[in-house]
Amino acid sequence: MRLLETTRLEDCFDGGFVLRYRTDQPWTPDAIRSLAQLGELDYFLDFPRPYYRVRGRGGFQIRGLEGEPVCTVIFPGNGRDQLRQRWEEFILRDLG
Amino acid sequence: MIYLNNAASSWPKAPGVADAVRQSLERPPCDVGRGGVVEGDPVNKCRELMGHLLGVADASRIVFTLNATAALNLAIQGAPLRSGDVIVTSVAEHNSVLRPAEKLRLERGIEVEIVGLAPDGSLDEDWFRRALARRPRLVVLTHASNVTGRVFPIERLFRGAKNAGALTVLDASQSLGLIPVSPEPMNADIVVFTGHKGLLGPSGVGGLYVGPAIDLEQILVGGTGVRSDLKEHPREMPGRLEAGTHNLAGLAGLAAAVEWLKSDGHHIATVARRRGDSLRRELARIPGVEIFDQDGDCERVGVVSFRISGWDVGEAGTVLNQSFEIACRAGLHCAPLIHPRIGSSPAGTLRFSASGFTTENEVGAASDAVRRLAKCAS
Repeated sequence: MRLLETTRLEDCFDGGFVLRYRTDQPWTPDAIRSLAQLGELDYFLDFPRPYYRVRGRGGFQIRGLEGEPVCTVIFPGNGRDQLRQRWEEFILRDLG
Repeated sequence: MIYLNNAASSWPKAPGVADAVRQSLERPPCDVGRGGVVEGDPVNKCRELMGHLLGVADASRIVFTLNATAALNLAIQGAPLRSGDVIVTSVAEHNSVLRPAEKLRLERGIEVEIVGLAPDGSLDEDWFRRALARRPRLVVLTHASNVTGRVFPIERLFRGAKNAGALTVLDASQSLGLIPVSPEPMNADIVVFTGHKGLLGPSGVGGLYVGPAIDLEQILVGGTGVRSDLKEHPREMPGRLEAGTHNLAGLAGLAAAVEWLKSDGHHIATVARRRGDSLRRELARIPGVEIFDQDGDCERVGVVSFRISGWDVGEAGTVLNQSFEIACRAGLHCAPLIHPRIGSSPAGTLRFSASGFTTENEVGAASDAVRRLAKCAS
């Protein structure tokens, strides 16, 4: 999986910030399950369009819909540069 | 998709609106006011219809703008205010009121008093009376909250404001088309409206009614097509407060919407309120759902604000929109000051807003979706 585009969305109230990542492939069930390496995965398979959320170690969150080539990542105010680097490396290394 | 975002922009539009917009664009543009009145002129037709809808005798006091924000800026920044004058408004207002007021505070030394809510969610009328004792020059209130749907007792509040000598501005963005609005019986000197919400017209058209004795300062000047020999913008209404080419297609659409509301759509407002009540009732039955401003006795437009225990408000909004395909809104709804008062700070609320086209089946499906989210809350 390759990152095609990163868009900054609205800032959070608590000083965090939100990025939307567009990838060259949609998020498949396997790719979504692999996100559990980063933290606690909630995968709502019985929703009309399955939805996933990862509460990542360090306080960041990944959110998205199965089958879509986009996901949203919310980084906390503290340590966001490191967390962002870790997340982007994970996509390239583990899902590449 | 189930569309429950009518407080932001209504959909579907009234029958005939899309055709009217398309026909307007397919015809040669009507050169309104440029070289005389043209038959079928959508601007004056819409002006007459809006005047009739608002129950005003002189439609030339109806001024068209791009939206309610532009109209509120014209009303607030154009009001005859001097440094030290007081504006009274409320925490229920949209940023389209709060930000122009703040701009006047910062730039012109106008004092702004923002009245809070009583514990039951109504406007704190004791506070309001104390604010009126400051003899404000301008009182600006929304008719209905875009967050809670609550309708405020404008006739009574504005009677007090008029007695205190204030100019009264009613923001009817959330009410016109859904509940009766008329300046004189409501003691409103100015009534601001938008075309794309309860009136079921297109976006890009709004305006205001300016009472006969009110002389607003011109904020925007330029071409009007009349008295082009003058160095200054003409002073005659409505052109005095309208500069530049109108949104002709938008006004044609709005005229079609208002005509439909008058003829076939008279029941639609009742249905919208009923569906809003149904949503409120159904959501209140779901364990883990908290409704903001729960007073069951007050009049409301079809808006209900809530949150689901265990879900971040923004995330729940995303899931409802994208996974369940229920169009709704999450956040502060551009009304930031009401949230600390109703207990929804800092994230705001999830908001469902019905229209007269919302069905009971859609209410049921939306409630089921919320129930499913509430069940799997973590």
